[in-house]
Amino acid sequence: MDNKDDMETAVSVHPGRSATPDPWAENVRRVAETRDRAAFQELYKHFTPMIRAFLLKSMGAGANRSEAEEITQEVLIKVWNKAASFNSSKASVNTWIFTIARNTRIDFIRRNERNDRKIDIEDIWHEPDSPEPLVDLQQRRAEQVIKQAIATLPDEQLQVLYKAFMEGKSHNEVAEELSLPLGTVKSRIRLALNKMQILIDR
Amino acid sequence: MVSFHPDAKFLTDFAAGNLPLSEAICVAAHLEFCSKCRSHVQQLSDLGAQLMARLEPQLAAADSDDRQAFEQLMQRIDAADTDTAVTSAATTISAGAARGSSANPLGLPRVVQKLAAGGLQDLKWAQFGKSLRIAPIRIGEKTRETAIYDIRAGGRMPEHEHRGEEITVLLKGSFSDADGKYVKGDFVVRHAGERHQPTATLDTDCICLVSLEQPVKPSSFWYRLLEPFVNYRLSGLSN
Ligand SMILES: [Zn+2]
Repeated sequence: MDNKDDMETAVSVHPGRSATPDPWAENVRRVAETRDRAAFQELYKHFTPMIRAFLLKSMGAGANRSEAEEITQEVLIKVWNKAASFNSSKASVNTWIFTIARNTRIDFIRRNERNDRKIDIEDIWHEPDSPEPLVDLQQRRAEQVIKQAIATLPDEQLQVLYKAFMEGKSHNEVAEELSLPLGTVKSRIRLALNKMQILIDR
Repeated sequence: MVSFHPDAKFLTDFAAGNLPLSEAICVAAHLEFCSKCRSHVQQLSDLGAQLMARLEPQLAAADSDDRQAFEQLMQRIDAADTDTAVTSAATTISAGAARGSSANPLGLPRVVQKLAAGGLQDLKWAQFGKSLRIAPIRIGEKTRETAIYDIRAGGRMPEHEHRGEEITVLLKGSFSDADGKYVKGDFVVRHAGERHQPTATLDTDCICLVSLEQPVKPSSFWYRLLEPFVNYRLSGLSN
């Protein structure tokens, strides 16, 4: 922590360099710039089993295995098509792919609803337009804090986070499934977020 | 300066992709005014990504070859490539137009621009009294109504009580009630049973995005939206 200021200066002099190296950022850059198929295939190999696992869980009873497989392919096609919009100072490739998978899942669920609205999921769950360089760098460091803290969470806190993020359940649904008061679910999530330095005031 | 924010439950459900559409639209509108909440949502997305990375990886069905699956994916990508180029060019142009000052003089959040395609004046407004007009926005949700409220400068809404939760995001101007003063970007939640009487400030009209949770009993769309005010009127008459 002693040379935090030095790090800040060093990083802001080289805005292209992130606080921690992301092993996959180079692959995405190559896909964006030269449509590099070998780089894409490496991403495919690493992320497909993860995306598939997430969709099998989060699409829930509303989807069967072949639908989950189809949505997995859709996510990968978006990774290829959107590679140019990936910003390595804002998020890791891991986080970027998670948000694409999350949005594709929301889109799938809403596709099965009857509705007349011309609103796209991307109008709601989108990347902010304006770059915020300083905030972004703090963000990238925060990601490391989250990664380390997650391994130390008690099971009961990990369980509610897992149900919310991986099984696609709202606070109310988690409370119902675990037969816990809503307040207990809220406080478990709050405790976990505090440990990961995600400090939301209210 | 924005000082009322969505709580951890709203932000977590939003980042995990579990927030119903009407509420998600309100959170998205707030995020455009609030860098603090934007960075929380980004951190929560990092959390989601870390949880995803910890899942036990699922390989494709045993009978399919990984290499062959990749080739098939690339064939799909190649086949779609010409279409995509055209579509993304069109998207860039329309996004640019939406951001231009003439298309968006009020600086409305992206999601509101999309909902009010063609501008606020083209929405279906219903005038209620002198100071208030309401434009409902149908997004196909059953448990909530979504609407834009426009309160004239200095206008006072009737004191009303909601039977469900009400979220208000201020898009323009400011208003106050007994609990405080609210400005552009504020995300204000009123719970069922709370009474309030918002008053717009004198110098400018106040425009809000509102999401209103509905009581279980069925009633007509317009009645449900106006119910708090209709109740006020009826009780006013009987007094
Ligand atoms: Zn905020």
